Amino acid sequence: MKNNTESKGFKMSLYIALTVLGILMVFPLIWMLLSALKSPDEIFSVPIKWFPEVAQWGNFQKTLDLAPFGLYIFNSAFTALVIVIFQFILSCMIAYALTQMQFKGRALVFNLILITYMLPAEATYVPSYTIIAKMGLLDTLTGVIISNIASVFTIFLLRQAFMQVPKDTIEAARAYGANDFTILWRVMIPMSKSTIFVVSLISFVKMYNNYLWPSLIVKSEENYLITVGLNKFFTSQGSFADKWPLIMTANVLSVIPLLILFIVLHKWFIKGIGDTGLKG
Amino acid sequence: MSRLKKSMKIFIFLGIPLIPLIVFWFIPMIVSLWLSLTDWDYISPTFNYVAMDNYTYAFTSDDFYQALKNTVIFGVFTVIPTIIIGLCLALLLREGLKGITFFRSLMFSPWITPMVAMSIVWAWIYEPDVGLLNQVLGFFHLPQPDWLHSSKSALWSIIIVTVWKNAGWAMLFYSDALQKIPRDLYEVSELEGASAWQRLRTIVIPLVSPTTLFLGIMLAIESIQAYDQIQVMTQGGPSGSTRTLLYMYYQMAFEQFNMGQATAISTIIVVITGILALTMFYVSKRWVHY
Repeated sequence: MKNNTESKGFKMSLYIALTVLGILMVFPLIWMLLSALKSPDEIFSVPIKWFPEVAQWGNFQKTLDLAPFGLYIFNSAFTALVIVIFQFILSCMIAYALTQMQFKGRALVFNLILITYMLPAEATYVPSYTIIAKMGLLDTLTGVIISNIASVFTIFLLRQAFMQVPKDTIEAARAYGANDFTILWRVMIPMSKSTIFVVSLISFVKMYNNYLWPSLIVKSEENYLITVGLNKFFTSQGSFADKWPLIMTANVLSVIPLLILFIVLHKWFIKGIGDTGLKG
Repeated sequence: MSRLKKSMKIFIFLGIPLIPLIVFWFIPMIVSLWLSLTDWDYISPTFNYVAMDNYTYAFTSDDFYQALKNTVIFGVFTVIPTIIIGLCLALLLREGLKGITFFRSLMFSPWITPMVAMSIVWAWIYEPDVGLLNQVLGFFHLPQPDWLHSSKSALWSIIIVTVWKNAGWAMLFYSDALQKIPRDLYEVSELEGASAWQRLRTIVIPLVSPTTLFLGIMLAIESIQAYDQIQVMTQGGPSGSTRTLLYMYYQMAFEQFNMGQATAISTIIVVITGILALTMFYVSKRWVHY
């Protein structure tokens, strides 16, 4: 047995180590916020000025005057939400068929989905781009949405969750004359609530942060997603060195919705990714 | 139940929901393979079959080998540090610690943020003359590299950002794995007087090995797909030093509209990913011991 003082000292140093590491990990975020509130002179001062003399809250208004970040954020949040809803509906049905229905080729369908889970989506971009173009959906949010509603990741995790639902419960529901839609809606989904919530949360974050594919599809400013608009803003401002505070302000604006989401729901992320999470 | 009714049900539950998956995954995968045998340029309606020319071209070009080398370096040196840092963080954040959720959230928060935004922040931190990193290094009289502006350090700068962003994610998986290690194993080794280091080597590392395998392969597959940070910070430069296979594919397809050569590269990417995924399935079948 260790004596009390030793373990107290150990605990202290553990907390100090954790605090230092924690600050290091979030430091880029802190630095982003501090830089966003500086004046152009302060941001370039050598030696470094850690804090702004006067917080330049006006930077936010200046940035919003240059580019409609509110619209970009709305576009991203809206597309991500619609995508998540569709992914949820489609994946629930597929997972239900894969776990509750007997039919020829079930193993084949599941294996095809399993293979797709591992393959890089980027390899589909050339043909998918052509398909979107043929459908006349280039430069529309519908194009972004429709090409993202198939989520192998969601199918996978929902199938796992549905397999955990006790057979007796399903049999009982069936004995009372429940049809497949009722069983799915009243039994499977309520009993897999936490998986569904965590998966939707992760999907939402991924879609909000998605860049490459949307950047190929959307071309006009009113359809920009936040990631596309932010990078366009960055490249258009980049040549003027004193625009760094405004670029950082734009960054803060684009990160804030997710940070709020994370602060409110952090327990779900932390718990969900470890144990529900992603294990194929 | 009649056969017809049953087929109807399967059509509704499986057939219809599978349409998006077929249209945007299965068909493009096959079409992409087929396009890699042509010289299609996206604009003209016609194209010629060129057999294996696109592959021969790739395998004989220096650019391809440079991109392959960058992909491998990027993969190896993001995966290994991410795993080590993830495990260390999980070991520090043991169950029962006060404020554990708070600390975990801090470590995990980079993963939530968009890579595009964080790449811009890091580009600012990396600024050679006035950026935070070189000012701090200068204060300690350490060498101040040009980071993103030099072909020697650009890839490493991108690696640092990628590790920073993913370490918290790896930590969560290890936390879960560590929690599943039976407590009596620790107690036995404590009774036998094993040091912390011995315990780590003989109990922790072997018992979390399935997680290590899983994370290693998933992170490797993800590293092959890295794009956002390269696009924002270097666009593949300086002089191709950060051009990975995926970035090369993007440039060929959507900057030069050389669809044949691009899809040949994407096929090679798919093959590499496939090998990694298969390795995981086979190794984990022989390894998993729970």
